[in-house]
Amino acid sequence: MADNTTKIRTFIFDNFLFDAEEDALENDTSFLEQGIIDSTGVLELVDWLEEEFAISVADEELVPENLDSVNLLSAYITRKTS
Amino acid sequence: MSDRFLCQQCILPSTFPGISFNEKGVCNHCQRYKGEDATVALQEKYEQKFLKLLEERKTKSSYDVIVAYSGGKDSTYTLDVFVNRYQLRVLALTFDNTFISPKALVNIGKVCGSLGVDSLIIKPAPQVLRKIFRTAATQELYSAKTLERASTICTSCIGMVKGIVLRTALEKHIPFVGFGWSPGQAPVQSSVMRTNPALMQGTQKAILKPLLEIAGDAVLPYFVTEEQFTQKELFPWNIHPLAFLHYDEQDITERISQFGWERPNDTDPNSSNCTLNAFANQVHRKRYDFHPYVWEIANMVRTGVLSREEGIEKIEPPEDIKMVAYSQKELGVD
Repeated sequence: MADNTTKIRTFIFDNFLFDAEEDALENDTSFLEQGIIDSTGVLELVDWLEEEFAISVADEELVPENLDSVNLLSAYITRKTS
Repeated sequence: MSDRFLCQQCILPSTFPGISFNEKGVCNHCQRYKGEDATVALQEKYEQKFLKLLEERKTKSSYDVIVAYSGGKDSTYTLDVFVNRYQLRVLALTFDNTFISPKALVNIGKVCGSLGVDSLIIKPAPQVLRKIFRTAATQELYSAKTLERASTICTSCIGMVKGIVLRTALEKHIPFVGFGWSPGQAPVQSSVMRTNPALMQGTQKAILKPLLEIAGDAVLPYFVTEEQFTQKELFPWNIHPLAFLHYDEQDITERISQFGWERPNDTDPNSSNCTLNAFANQVHRKRYDFHPYVWEIANMVRTGVLSREEGIEKIEPPEDIKMVAYSQKELGVD
């Protein structure tokens, strides 16, 4: 879980927040409400999830409850890989 | 300007957010690219997915698809594809941002007439839009990620286009929304995708919040209402057909000329409808030291749609001074 969280944070900073300070993102911050990820960004995120964790993200799983924060993503990955 | 350099394979510059290069000067995006074979296989898969959905969701009571129709080359070809390749009933919605080239407006009339498509043009009050564009020209309004793909002015305009098109689809119970994103703008994985209401609500908030601060409630008619977000069963599928079909700029231009389309001469090389684009690009380049179209063009170079030289020709020359001056005068900014 902790390892996933680290991977997710690294991906978000490398691809969405760029040079922002580490404390710019809490693990429960909503990506959508903060404008960190938009509809195109979601696809980039899904592409990474599928490649990094060897999972398949179905259309109906593209919902904020699965994707909208570091913590939600981490829990989603755990469910998909367990 | 900086000591920036371009990727040796595509044309992304060293000033692009989050970019890195290997020892051969090839960027991280090119290193991750899986190759043309993978792209073609995905294109076939997504067109089949769309065809299957068409069988399930076509209705007799409304249009089959609403298309965001700017009058530009790509959205004109998208109309043609929906009408002639898929035999659909199409509503073309044009959001007139008050900077549409007069020739593009003529194109809209000619093409819709020739294809037998209903045309709906929404032209907001110029005062509202110009206030937004003027603010976007002088300050950043959105997240760092949006800067990769478009200027702040364009992001504001496209946000309203997406909002009004979805709102109209919901009002008219239209099952598909079509956009003419080029293969460089939209990955094929996004070409057939159901609009998730909660996801859309979140992304709309991020665009709407700064616009409300600038223009107040005057912008609300261009966005989906809170009540509409509860009508989950009405949410349409987004279709970007140019991402799963063969794309060749010259072939497309020749094809749509049959419907009376002619390229305007008062727009910059990356737009065939908007006279504000040159100024929007110039603002972005001065602010961030990379062209706002470079992500799209680099994707097209990487996937073989454009040569590297063609790509460089689209993003490296400075903007036309007269085009920039026109927009500056209209907006009342330096």
